[in-house]
Amino acid sequence: MFHIVRHLLRFVLLILLQVLVLNNIQFLGYINIYIYILFILSLPTQTPKWLILILGFLLGLIMDMFSNTMGLHAFATALVAFLYAPVIHLFVSSEENISLQPSVNTFGIGGYFKFAVILIVIHHLTLFFLEAFTFINFWITLSRALLSSGCTFLVVIGTQFFSINKSK
Amino acid sequence: MYETVVMRYLINFLIKYSIVLLFLLLEVVSFRMLIKNTEYQRNVFLSSSNSVVAFFYQAASSITDFFKLRSSNESLSEENTELKNQIMSLKKELEAAHSELSDSLNHSQYVEQEYRFIDAKVINNSTNKIQNYITINKGERDGVRPDMGVINEDGVVGVVSTVSERFSVIIPVLNPKLQIVSKFERSNYTGPIAWSGEDYRYVNLLDIARHVDFNQGDSLVTSGFTTAFPEGIPVGTVEDFQIKDGDPYYNIKVKLAVNFRTLSHVKVIDYLFYFEQKELEERTQQ
Repeated sequence: MFHIVRHLLRFVLLILLQVLVLNNIQFLGYINIYIYILFILSLPTQTPKWLILILGFLLGLIMDMFSNTMGLHAFATALVAFLYAPVIHLFVSSEENISLQPSVNTFGIGGYFKFAVILIVIHHLTLFFLEAFTFINFWITLSRALLSSGCTFLVVIGTQFFSINKSK
Repeated sequence: MYETVVMRYLINFLIKYSIVLLFLLLEVVSFRMLIKNTEYQRNVFLSSSNSVVAFFYQAASSITDFFKLRSSNESLSEENTELKNQIMSLKKELEAAHSELSDSLNHSQYVEQEYRFIDAKVINNSTNKIQNYITINKGERDGVRPDMGVINEDGVVGVVSTVSERFSVIIPVLNPKLQIVSKFERSNYTGPIAWSGEDYRYVNLLDIARHVDFNQGDSLVTSGFTTAFPEGIPVGTVEDFQIKDGDPYYNIKVKLAVNFRTLSHVKVIDYLFYFEQKELEERTQQ
């Protein structure tokens, strides 16, 4: 029960942080940080797959409401939610039936970095190319997506240091 | 017997691939929303004019507004002085006209008001996306309708897209979905302006043919061809232009009159003869 409340709280806080603070920050003119994706990245590994999908889709839909981009964020987050389990399988060798909260502590630094990078890059690439809806400015869009992914990744790693400190 | 086997296979298949099917369903739904964008754009629930979303934006903007007070105060007082000056000069003109008229004709001229301005506050604004949107705190209740033009004291901001009871969403010039027809103030040649999605300060002016004569720094204003904007509202100035050999059209970079990063107050333009003009145009087309 406590876990559900904690995840719900994280859901709300990340959305508010994203739409009220980060969406207004324009770093170097091109870079958008999409930290809200951290919600999917921190779901426990044993969460039912259908629930991850629905939650991801909902998260994206709410982001779409705030930024007037119908279906854009929902498409990207649903994709990330779908790829969540396969990516964990790829990088993290953990025993079945044990539910882990993805973090540096549980996945190891390398494992967590790879897991986070892959999902963040997939999310940002989907988002930026769908938003452009064209390959005309391919290199500009690509560089925007990758630079933003980098910044989001740094922020995600930043939150990890909080969790390390907490566990000690 | 055979049918039950088929059914069992089918059910097994559905169970086995239920996650993939759910995933595909969600992607199809969101992709459909993305493509049929214009249909959903009128949907208030799914946009930031939705009252829950707008509530958060309003709460947040009441904090950030505090920091913008100084600069918006300055621009308001500047506009105020300018308007006062205009009133003064208009008064003089009116007096002069009156004295002339009363000599020759006993006829008072009545000028009908064509436009009304609805003052609104920007409660959400982005400049760093490819498709940017602005949310304002005035809606249907205050007389805002879709397709109305929006300006501020410097020039053209955008066009109203979705309207709810108390809020509206504006498509600004910084969105490829909106192309406002503008013209050179000097020569009256018209062309649409379009944003390339890179820099919030610049847009491109399209469809200006090779023979048109213009210079750097020439100002662009609205054409007045649509009901959204009256003629002569500033759009921007020519920053740079070039033309390739064999190209029929110029490549013109325009510096926008409005600074979208510091937008705080806007005016929605209510064209009072909107319905009359629309009805007439529709009748002609039938």
